[in-house]
Amino acid sequence: MSDEEWYDVVVVGAGVAGALIAKAVSDAKLTALVLEAGPERATSFDGYQRHVRHFYAAAAKNAESAWPPDPHAPQPDTADIRQGSGYFIQRGPDRYGSSYTRARGGSTLHWLGVSLRMLPEDFGIRTRYGVGRDWPIGYDELEPYYRKAEVAMGVSADVADQRYHGLTFGEGYDYPMRRLPLSYSDTKLAEAIAGLTVDVGAGPVPVTVRSYPAARNSTPRPGYRPIGTIDKRPEGGEVEMFVGERCAGNTSCTPICPIQAKYNAGRTLTQADDTYLRLIPQAVVSHIDIDSESGQVSGLTYLRYDDSGFTIHRVRGGAYVLAAHAVENAKLMLLSGLGGQHVGRNLMDHPALYAWGLAPEPIGAFRGPLSTAGIEELRAGAFRSQHAAFRFDVGNDGWRATTGAPDTTVAAAIRQQGLYGPRLRESLAAALSRQVRLSLAVEQLPDPANQVTIDPSQRDPLGIPRPAISYQIDDYTKAGMAAATQVAQAIFQRAGIADCTDHASGTWFPTVTWGDQVFAYHGMGHFAGTHAMGSGPHDSVVDSYQRSWEHRNLYLVGSGSMPTMGTSNPTLTLAALAIRTAEQLIASMSRG
Amino acid sequence: MQSNDSFLALSAALTGFSTLDLLGTGMAQEYQRTLDATLPPGIYRELLETWASAGGGEAATDQIMGDPKLGPVARNLIQLWYCGTWSAMPDDWRSAYGTTPLDMSRVVSPEAFQAGLQWAVAGAHAPASGQQGFAAWALPPEGSS
Ligand SMILES: Cc1cc2nc3c(=O)[nH]c(=O)nc-3n(C[C@H](O)[C@H](O)[C@H](O)COP(=O)(O)OP(=O)(O)OC[C@H]3O[C@@H](n4cnc5c(N)ncnc54)[C@H](O)[C@@H]3O)c2cc1C
Ligand code: SF4
Repeated sequence: MSDEEWYDVVVVGAGVAGALIAKAVSDAKLTALVLEAGPERATSFDGYQRHVRHFYAAAAKNAESAWPPDPHAPQPDTADIRQGSGYFIQRGPDRYGSSYTRARGGSTLHWLGVSLRMLPEDFGIRTRYGVGRDWPIGYDELEPYYRKAEVAMGVSADVADQRYHGLTFGEGYDYPMRRLPLSYSDTKLAEAIAGLTVDVGAGPVPVTVRSYPAARNSTPRPGYRPIGTIDKRPEGGEVEMFVGERCAGNTSCTPICPIQAKYNAGRTLTQADDTYLRLIPQAVVSHIDIDSESGQVSGLTYLRYDDSGFTIHRVRGGAYVLAAHAVENAKLMLLSGLGGQHVGRNLMDHPALYAWGLAPEPIGAFRGPLSTAGIEELRAGAFRSQHAAFRFDVGNDGWRATTGAPDTTVAAAIRQQGLYGPRLRESLAAALSRQVRLSLAVEQLPDPANQVTIDPSQRDPLGIPRPAISYQIDDYTKAGMAAATQVAQAIFQRAGIADCTDHASGTWFPTVTWGDQVFAYHGMGHFAGTHAMGSGPHDSVVDSYQRSWEHRNLYLVGSGSMPTMGTSNPTLTLAALAIRTAEQLIASMSRG
Repeated sequence: MQSNDSFLALSAALTGFSTLDLLGTGMAQEYQRTLDATLPPGIYRELLETWASAGGGEAATDQIMGDPKLGPVARNLIQLWYCGTWSAMPDDWRSAYGTTPLDMSRVVSPEAFQAGLQWAVAGAHAPASGQQGFAAWALPPEGSS
């Protein structure tokens, strides 16, 4: 074919995993091509602002509301979960509640930015607690890459807060930026629960409110220059350099930070040298071609679309990196008949519950980043042989996620309480500022039955089969939900917070039952496990470098490679893994 | 009284904010147009006239709020000011008083979302606009002890 080109490395997907690898490859003066399924609309300031306005005007302000998909590269939308409709074919028995974004920048365009490391014990829970699987590498091997990922993504935190559950940091290291200030409500809650201990089955544990590491710009430490708003145009950017170099408290990290103080993968791509890195947007990879003799990948087929239709192309390279995220990576392998029995299996998430209440006094809800602190003590402990570990996010956004406040609070005051005039204003002033929200994110173990498959009878507009998802939340996780609920109640009680948690009156979410308890859960967007790493082809798809056991010039990167997830949001870990992969890949190419 | 003034005065009575505060949002004209275009013909005018002829004070406001025809309109007007959204009129109201193509639940405009009084009343700001500045979230909110 005339347009068949060759690159040192061909990367599928311009999310954080693909961006970090492509940038590292291009920094090493090797050529990288990034094929991105979605559009490239947000590289200039004006293009990005159009997404901000789209969010303002959206009727439902959910995680997807700023990032409408191109119909040619459809994506899941949490608004479809209730009907069981949309891009995912939900096979049940439970609904999979998460989404991702298909556009240049990927899901970091709408992520929250929580950047926790996994705990040392998370890498070996089979050995330690007899559940889940062990990783083929441990914390110590990944630690230097965590540091590199924290610098690459711009993470704000103080090491002094983060030394818990055995977490260690390199000698003399601290995060590139100081921690974001805790919110007033964090401080109030911390004071109110000082000295509280809880017991979830392994003895009393003190709980504290702690700042968590976030990929949002704060005050830099010496030698680090934060990157804010990107404004890439042919004629050069026009936005003042400092916009977004510090978080300004827009209370909108998800779905869109208006000033780009929050990291997104577009930033990494924009910093790469265009001489070595080429990105083609609106290019959907549809097939991985294998050389039948060597078993190596011989090329990728992709479909380039615009409003008038699409054309078919083929590209070749020295190595191929699938960075299309957990579901799309698995889908591509399945579409190509590759990967053996493990591909698509062990799909995980952090099914999460909300608890909400009214504080005894104004705590300043609806200000600051959506959250700045968490409760991390229950991420580890001997109870993990019995039930799931969990962590809490302490919200700064009132009941926005839980009930749709403040709009729903206003509607209730007008329509149910019949208030108007000064009484309405006073009542809302008293209520809104006191709204408290906790997110209870619960660990989920790998289960081969939780699986992504493809359904050739249901295709997207380019004719590519859509992903089907079988998913069940097991007793281990449900028992963790029960324990987490107990802890949330103890916290509310100690803090004098009136517990208003009532999923029947809150935003609709799917439910699971556990004894006589009903839990309404939502997805955290933490897809993992679909091409897990392991000790050999008998138990896994990739090795610890995310290199396919079967096709040695193929890498599958991202949270799909994670055999277990513990309780940390996965992106920092997948970024650390990607940087480690890039190093190995570049070294192997330089060796020739 | 000009209709603009009476619209503002009625809005102030309904929302608990002063006419100055309401003017400050820059939304008054857009909301007048929204009411006029979204309600069946004549009802917006009837709302203002009824309120004015009842004396325009607290008693007039109570009367409007209790009126089967105008009460639901007034509640929607409050919601417009607080949230920047319009809620489709209830079915029984529509069958009694009519409807228009615009009478559907929606965010009236990006500006309306940002200008919602609900954010001010919470001591906050609309998400992704009206940022308070680095670390402002660490300070006590207005009115706290
Ligand atoms: C609401 C929400 C909040 C979140 N908050 C956090 C958080 O606070 N902390 C955290 O750690 N994680 C968070 N996450 C998860 C985080 O967003 C993801 O883990 C991360 O963005 C995944 O990065 P990735 O590069 O692997 O994939 P993605 O960012 O999804 O990028 C994959 C890219 O591949 C492209 N692609 C897909 N298919 C093809 C194809 N066939 N051909 C070419 N290109 C293709 C896509 O268009 C996309 O651009 C959140 C997720 C959600 C939904
Ligand atoms: S709080 Fe606002 S400015 Fe800060 S990161 Fe989140 S959206 Fe951006």
